[in-house]
Amino acid sequence: MTDVALDIQGCTVAYHDTPVLWDASLTVPRGTITGVLGPNGAGKTTLLKAVLGLVPVASGRIQVFGDTYAAQQDRVGYVPQRGSVDWDFPTNALDVVLMGLYGQLGWFRRPGAHENEQARQALRDVGMLDYTDRQISQLSGGQQQRVFLARALVQDADLYLMDEPLQGVDATTERTIMQLLHNLRDAGKAVVVVHHDLHTVADYFDRVLLLNKRAVASGPVASVFTDANVSATYGTEMRASTEAH
Amino acid sequence: MDLLYELVTDYTLRTVALGAALLGMVGGSLGSYAVLRGRSLIGDAVAHAALPGIAGAFLLTGSMNPLVLMLGAATTGLAAALLVETTAHTTRVPYDSALALMLSAFFGLGLVLMTYLQRHAGASQAGLDAFLFGQAAALVTRDVYVMAALGGIALVMMLLLWKELKLLSFNPDFGHSLGLPMQLLNGLLTTLIVVAIVIGLQTVGVVLMSAVLIAPTVAARQWTNRLGRMVALAAGIGAATGVAGAVVSASMRNLPTGPTIVLCMGAVVAMSMLLAPERGLLWRMGGPRTAAPSSSNSSFSTSSPADS
Amino acid sequence: MSPQAEVQLVAAVTAVACALPGAFLVLRRLSMMSDAISHAILPGIVVGFMLTESLASPLLIAGAAATGVLTVVLVERIEGTGLVREDAAIGLVFPVLFSIGVVLLARYASDVHLDVDAVLLGELAFVPFDRLEWGGIDLGPRALWVMGTVLLLNAAFLTAFYKELKLSTFDAQLAATLGFIPGVLHYVLMSLVSVTAVSAFDAVGSILVVALMVAPPATAYLLTDRLDRMIVLSAGLGVGYALVGYAGAAALDASIAGSMATVAGLLFGVTLVAAPERGLVATWRRQHRHTARFSAQLLAAYLANPSTPPVPLSEASNRLHDRFGWLPSHTQALISDLRDQDLITVRSGHLACTEAGQQLADEAAQHAA
Repeated sequence: MTDVALDIQGCTVAYHDTPVLWDASLTVPRGTITGVLGPNGAGKTTLLKAVLGLVPVASGRIQVFGDTYAAQQDRVGYVPQRGSVDWDFPTNALDVVLMGLYGQLGWFRRPGAHENEQARQALRDVGMLDYTDRQISQLSGGQQQRVFLARALVQDADLYLMDEPLQGVDATTERTIMQLLHNLRDAGKAVVVVHHDLHTVADYFDRVLLLNKRAVASGPVASVFTDANVSATYGTEMRASTEAH
Repeated sequence: MDLLYELVTDYTLRTVALGAALLGMVGGSLGSYAVLRGRSLIGDAVAHAALPGIAGAFLLTGSMNPLVLMLGAATTGLAAALLVETTAHTTRVPYDSALALMLSAFFGLGLVLMTYLQRHAGASQAGLDAFLFGQAAALVTRDVYVMAALGGIALVMMLLLWKELKLLSFNPDFGHSLGLPMQLLNGLLTTLIVVAIVIGLQTVGVVLMSAVLIAPTVAARQWTNRLGRMVALAAGIGAATGVAGAVVSASMRNLPTGPTIVLCMGAVVAMSMLLAPERGLLWRMGGPRTAAPSSSNSSFSTSSPADS
Repeated sequence: MSPQAEVQLVAAVTAVACALPGAFLVLRRLSMMSDAISHAILPGIVVGFMLTESLASPLLIAGAAATGVLTVVLVERIEGTGLVREDAAIGLVFPVLFSIGVVLLARYASDVHLDVDAVLLGELAFVPFDRLEWGGIDLGPRALWVMGTVLLLNAAFLTAFYKELKLSTFDAQLAATLGFIPGVLHYVLMSLVSVTAVSAFDAVGSILVVALMVAPPATAYLLTDRLDRMIVLSAGLGVGYALVGYAGAAALDASIAGSMATVAGLLFGVTLVAAPERGLVATWRRQHRHTARFSAQLLAAYLANPSTPPVPLSEASNRLHDRFGWLPSHTQALISDLRDQDLITVRSGHLACTEAGQQLADEAAQHAA
């Protein structure tokens, strides 16, 4: 059994003739939480999508628990960007969370009482049990984000890939979500979070990937999250400790 | 009362009403997915693109068997739908342009084949007219059986793949991350929608087909926030407006069935958009503590008792 | 002029008149709106016809054009409620308006000479029979005059407002701040589309009007990046449809308009596959070329990097699989390729970058800059 949850080597993704990700590498050990940071258009979302096979990879070796993603995908939970779906879709919070179980359920089977209980538990974990039957367009941004998180939790995955789970979220929700993610890490899971706020990196993450098409630096926050690396990533004078972009 | 009596006893009216009900039910339920996926107008393209398939099937087989013609219609309809997706995905031509282009080019080809048939094989103009505007009055029991069988299969498939199709419509990337073959499901859904269109062509015709897919869904969406209820309601609205259109058109002289059905559907849409609780325009005007439904970021007042 | 020549001329003039506003329909994502307009004008035509008892009356064209604009307004209003998306709104509005037209026709005008299929399908072959006379002098087919006028109108509008249209298409906000009122321009454009559709329907029918409006610019969009060329190319394609379509229809004794639309579809299909820059084949080949180029750059940069441990040729396949996920066959082909081009070389059993290869490595650094 390997201690590495996710291993990306030399990942290159291009749209037409323009690389959006160039020779990026990242190693994510189990029991850690990794922040992926970089300016807009740095390829953060693309990196997650490359792991999930959602974008074609020009070059690169991607291993999940020492194996291909296809073989290990039931151990991977994905939280897409909140803005990537139509929240006016006719469904409620519980139903969205149940979607996390569709893969395990298999073809033709509908979720039953057991699955409902799992989904309710996940909603309880994210503090959303009171909103089970609420139409999803009637949830605030932070609540929608928590529903997405519950959907990933219910998968009971070992590796979580999350695209901006703190986007548009109020301070209380942000604390709740981070507490949950730290619990996941403490339970031995690996968590990768695309993040945009430089202020909170040191508090939130064990490890960090600074990305701007290429991996500028990656590793433990203490050694990697330096002024020099952050400036090299964002292309301007940046201070890792105090300044946000 | 007379009408109701006729509906039971009059063969033509009964057949037309049954056909219209089936069309509305199948079109309404499968149309829900087209609308939710932002593919509302695919029905318009598929319906127009069915013409060369019908003409081609007749040219190849010489048969007027509805199954043969429907197979032809489904083939070219599906081909057009795939070409639209391919064009929009692989080039910079926008989706709606691809739709308009395929729609009119396939229809043009169909028109060439039809006029060729009329002038060489002695086919009548009536066949083309029936295709354009539907010819509900010409429906016979056998047609209704074929509609029921094909529509039934499509609905059963939809129910079997309920959760997969829901995921495809709401969040295909997530479905992919679960290992579900989203592209295959997409192709399957398109095929089901093509079936819904093809079985309805004889009743409402090409031009009005898009309304049969869209109107029941748009009406149903205003009354419920759950997919299951919405699809069921759309099926019900489709069937009811189908029957209503058939009955109204039979009760007056010179009132063609297809357009009457569409006008009934339009009326239900207008009523739903005005009156439906929470979403309806009148409702929204009346109450101060209502939220605009489409704004995804609207924070809902937590004091309202929405949980059960 | 022979009747055949007249038909071809009208076909060509109609095609160009439709193609001119087409570029803006495609670029502004209004293609399906034109489809909706071309159907929804039916009630306008019917009412106009009932009032004027003539298909030739300018009043009828005005009435139908107004219905076209009404379609646009209705779609925008319905979308504006936030209850329905734009595509669904289009798909609701035009069938309802079309149905109203069919019902009006069936109930109140069934004795007059106006068939719905004539509106939908048109018939170019009849064009020479409807002639314009003035003081007893034959001035040629009426359709030629009508479509000629529309063509001039469209051309004049495009010429007069070219830069405003261009700017409001690509940057509506900037256009607004410069005082160009993109909203007004939008409705004028849609009015022109309506007038064009109404005028063209009895020649080519309202369904095929859509082909003539959308197919030329969509095809041209795959061939050029410049708006002015796109418009000129569209017009040229329209003439091509008319001539080739006519020949095809004559050979088969089939619908001329249908044949023109078929030619439009086929030409688009050929362009889609074979366009020099943006066709499927060119795109596919370019992607392969880029992937190969990226591999070469990645390898050169890897070898040129001083912190890379030496790569023995015998272990290259394994090492590069671990580093880049390349299959051994890919690695072998790449190495032999780059050695042939003298970009990498083998020094005492190890792979190394040549001086020319160093440039490749520098290119790689550019990508990541």
